[in-house]
Amino acid sequence: MKGFLVPFAVLSCAGSLAAEPLVVAFERFHQSKPGAESGRLLFNELGCANCHGGSAEMPARTGPELAAITQRVNVEWVRDYLASPSKVKEGTAMPHFFAENGEDDVEAVIHYLASLKPKSASKPKTSKYLNAERGSDVYHTMGCVTCHAPGKDFQPPAGTPEAKDFTHRSVALPEMQKKYSLATLTSFLMDPLKVRPDGRMPHIDMHDSDYADLAAYLLDYQHSDGTNAATLPALKLDKELVTKGKTLVEAMNCASCHDLPGTKKAAPLTIQNAAAGCMSSVPKPGTPRYELSDSQRTALTSFLSSSKQAPAPKLLAELSLQALNCTACHDRDGIGGADAARKAYFTGDHNLGDTGLHPPPLTDAGRKFKPEWLKGVLEGKNRVRPYLQTKMPRFGKATDALPAILATADAKEEKPLPDGDAEAGRKLLGVLGGNSCITCHKWAERPSLGIQALDISNLDKRLQPGWLRDYLINPASHRLGTLMPSFWPNGVAANQAVLGGDTDKQIAAILAFAKLSKGEPEGFPATTKGEFELIPSERPIVQRTFLEGTGTHAILVGFPAGIHLAFDGLNARPTVIWKGKFFDAYNTWFTRAAPFENPLGEVVAKWTASVSAAEVKFGGYRLDDKGVPSFLWQSGGTQVVEKFEPVDGKLQRTLTWDTAATTKPDITHPEGVEMTEAAGSTDGSRIFVYSWK
Amino acid sequence: MKALKLILFLVPALALAGSDYQITDLLTASTTANSRSTEWKPGQGITLEVSGMDWLPDGRLAVVIRKGEVWIVSNPHAEKTADVTFKLFASGLHEPLGLRVDGDSLLVTQRTEVTRLRDVNGDGVADEYLTEASGWNVSGAYHAYAYGPKKDREGNEWMTLNVDMGERTDNTKGWRGWAVIKGPDGGIIPMSAGFRSPCGLGANSEGDMFCVDQQGTWIPATPVFHLRKGIFALNPEGIDSQNLPGSPLKLAAPVPNKVPYPEALKAVPQMVPPALWLPYNKAGRSGTDIVAIDAGGKFGPFDGQILVAEFTDAKLHRGFLEKVDGEYQGAVFPFIGGFASGIVRLSFSKEGDLFVGMTSRGWSSLGTRAYGLQRVHWNGTIDFAIKEMRAKPDGFELVFTEPVDAATAGSIGSYKMNSFTYLYSSAYGSEEIDTKALDITAANVSADGLSVRLQVKGLRPVYVHELFAEGITSAKGAKLAHPAAWYTLNRVPKS
Repeated sequence: MKGFLVPFAVLSCAGSLAAEPLVVAFERFHQSKPGAESGRLLFNELGCANCHGGSAEMPARTGPELAAITQRVNVEWVRDYLASPSKVKEGTAMPHFFAENGEDDVEAVIHYLASLKPKSASKPKTSKYLNAERGSDVYHTMGCVTCHAPGKDFQPPAGTPEAKDFTHRSVALPEMQKKYSLATLTSFLMDPLKVRPDGRMPHIDMHDSDYADLAAYLLDYQHSDGTNAATLPALKLDKELVTKGKTLVEAMNCASCHDLPGTKKAAPLTIQNAAAGCMSSVPKPGTPRYELSDSQRTALTSFLSSSKQAPAPKLLAELSLQALNCTACHDRDGIGGADAARKAYFTGDHNLGDTGLHPPPLTDAGRKFKPEWLKGVLEGKNRVRPYLQTKMPRFGKATDALPAILATADAKEEKPLPDGDAEAGRKLLGVLGGNSCITCHKWAERPSLGIQALDISNLDKRLQPGWLRDYLINPASHRLGTLMPSFWPNGVAANQAVLGGDTDKQIAAILAFAKLSKGEPEGFPATTKGEFELIPSERPIVQRTFLEGTGTHAILVGFPAGIHLAFDGLNARPTVIWKGKFFDAYNTWFTRAAPFENPLGEVVAKWTASVSAAEVKFGGYRLDDKGVPSFLWQSGGTQVVEKFEPVDGKLQRTLTWDTAATTKPDITHPEGVEMTEAAGSTDGSRIFVYSWK
Repeated sequence: MKALKLILFLVPALALAGSDYQITDLLTASTTANSRSTEWKPGQGITLEVSGMDWLPDGRLAVVIRKGEVWIVSNPHAEKTADVTFKLFASGLHEPLGLRVDGDSLLVTQRTEVTRLRDVNGDGVADEYLTEASGWNVSGAYHAYAYGPKKDREGNEWMTLNVDMGERTDNTKGWRGWAVIKGPDGGIIPMSAGFRSPCGLGANSEGDMFCVDQQGTWIPATPVFHLRKGIFALNPEGIDSQNLPGSPLKLAAPVPNKVPYPEALKAVPQMVPPALWLPYNKAGRSGTDIVAIDAGGKFGPFDGQILVAEFTDAKLHRGFLEKVDGEYQGAVFPFIGGFASGIVRLSFSKEGDLFVGMTSRGWSSLGTRAYGLQRVHWNGTIDFAIKEMRAKPDGFELVFTEPVDAATAGSIGSYKMNSFTYLYSSAYGSEEIDTKALDITAANVSADGLSVRLQVKGLRPVYVHELFAEGITSAKGAKLAHPAAWYTLNRVPKS
């Protein structure tokens, strides 16, 4: 196996080692041709708007919560970071504030920040049962690699592109072991939005143990018990430094970007000479220093010299999605989606092709989704693609305005669909003369008949009719690589038998049935109740189970003639005869609890427990060519063969044994039947016939 | 384009497996594992919840599944999954959890008995379902599973029996929580006691029989026991059977509760320690099966070792066993992950491929599919790994799959070791207790670079000795794919 030993820091800058702040979407889509529009993105994402005002339409870009910072981040790391942010975390949007030899100021600021009370403290959490190796699995499959680089020790499977093939920089991780303790990193990963409310590090919903294992992986913590891990050093507050720090923090206007309770925030600063201020490569003392690239500077200058009017809806949508790096996973209008190399890290259900591995495009998303549904998606409630291993994260309040932004941007005058005929929709969705949607698509809790494509029972709640109509006519034009065929190619219904082949009426009918939230499309197998009913048709069915009254060793025999029997394989005796339906095997086959079952049909006769003195031993059964079992048992050393068969609506019982045997089997008959002994019944081969009314 | 597609399609299975071993689906469920739903339903087709596997002489694979059917798999090594075919051989069995091919018959262990299945009329379907062995109590409690049979060197056919749990539980009657062998005249002979959920059995290459249990009441973590007559493992819930005729053991003292495990061993002379512990969550959570690697080099350089299957993480661990004072002990290493569903059964074909049978129903597994059968093929390359870990009077010897870098492997700073034990108690599982960091005083690399002798101070008998060898690299510069190992040091060798 090839060694794959590139540290995080090196991986994170595939391409050139760059000092400039990383705004992923700028680097991916705008760097080569910077302009006013991408300048607006930077103006927001570098926090310019926080001091200078403007850009209120975009999702706010703020800094992390800093109150009590030393309780969640190692104070020594904070010292290093404040002294030189971009050296400690490459690509950070945090500018340099402190002059060289500014250690005393840095210390004062830290003391002040440490003295502030957070709105709600994050309680450090960890686990006694950590597994860093599983943390690596989490990191490399849940979506972290969409923004961050694969781990230094991660050995991608042969054929998978490596980090060096990534087309743009990854968001660097700081030196984790210096920055966090196991418990504070776990707590951060569990709820990143709490300390970073701007959503640029979103929240992925996982099990608690996943966060703990992920933290163990990121910190290279190889022990099981996380409660023994080192905690962060405490900082003893110095009152004088706190006071000095407050003055400094207010002078630097930290509160413009960071939520700092009780700290003054300056009024918006007018930009007088952009080139000489923050954008200068050697700004005046006291001015924040960004290590901007030429391209970034060009974009910002271009934006600042533009009219700076509120962006048009389309542009606002585009920039908002790019600001939150939604385009890391999602394509919109041909821009974005994972690059070819990162795509290989998306896993899911390959039976669904590309759509089973990758998130959907957001082209026309405002026209596609009902705003309420989209809101639910962003809040983490509506999840329709359980097969995607990479999880859609939550971005918190940063996406509050997104449904409205997208709705405005993508609005189109729609021709309304006619009223839908729900019953026709039910037919169309089904497989009995319909379009067989349920062959691939799940319907609520019902698995589809084939591949498990997304649930479509919620179509009416999810999608707008106009978009759905366009999509159904040509799915591939909306989603490249989809396995979804068109059932209305060029707008002409392939199914002419339903609703006269009227495309609009058919699509409206499907929506109408989905809206009913009642019933299901035609052609699903019967529901669980009865779905696993055993129905003997050509041959008898033999099934063992736990049966009330018969016990733990029950062997059921169901005959096509509709007469059935249970045999007790412990005491080697028949126990009950019933007629009609035979047996529902669901619980016996598929329920962990293994409950005691009952015959499905009507019981016509029962044996009372045998009181035979002889020791009886069961020996199994043989099936004859027709599948009828003969039970084998011994009684007092005599080998007995016992067979039951329906004859003319009656049940015939035959017992045979060697007449030379000293012990004859003890034969009892069931209660509630009429019993006759058949002609030909002799010692060693007794034949009884049971009948009932 | 075709090549690219292939890569992308293989990624899901391979992403966690590493590339030395290729995992191929033979059949996996279209449904996801919704582990405890009472509404759960299988997907279309065969509900291949594999619970037992063995090989017919002609190279076909016999598979028994939980709903009570036996399927014969033809072309199990086919390149294309479509060429693998399944034929129903038997049905109507009651939750069978083990299968062994015996001459012209298949032996399957159902809840109530071992059954001999035979196709007498030659139509390819079983027509004889004869009771081969029975005699354990079946109360009707759901947890009363029965596993096996597996054959040891002497020809004994071993079965293991869970203790009852849930409604109708009655562990006072016949042999719940025991390992038994098939007796003459359709009976059973009780052999060893003290199990809880001994879900899998397997003989090592020497033919000695082992079983794997799972953490739970009285069982701190997944143990692997060498089965022998008269031993007591851990769980006293089924110990009442020691008073029945035929019991091979009678505990000289009642088991203590809430004491460190080494003290429990001292208090109860019949209690023997497992050959291996798989520490909870570090090496999976619930062990399910054991198979010897005996593949003539076709499955990598690990012949003579065992694989331990695991349910929750859907992962395989590798076990190295050695004998010290005549008793097995050894080390466990992480091995292959990324399987589709909770692993329950393992079987090697004579071609040297590993067949992995899975079902997640009823419990939780990281495997996303409800059930299935996958095949693992060794590609011929091998990760830099610790192949063996041997106990020495003053430390351990590590043997590697390729020469190590002498500088890193010779530095004691490249290694960390702890030892810990468990609390023996009626509680569910145990934390690691009495953990101590061990002082590694020397790391001497052998002349061929293939092994390292660690001198370690303060070895503690019976404790699990945990190794992290993160600092070392191979001579070629690779890091260990799995830097951790856990050695169950029941005995410190004298020489």
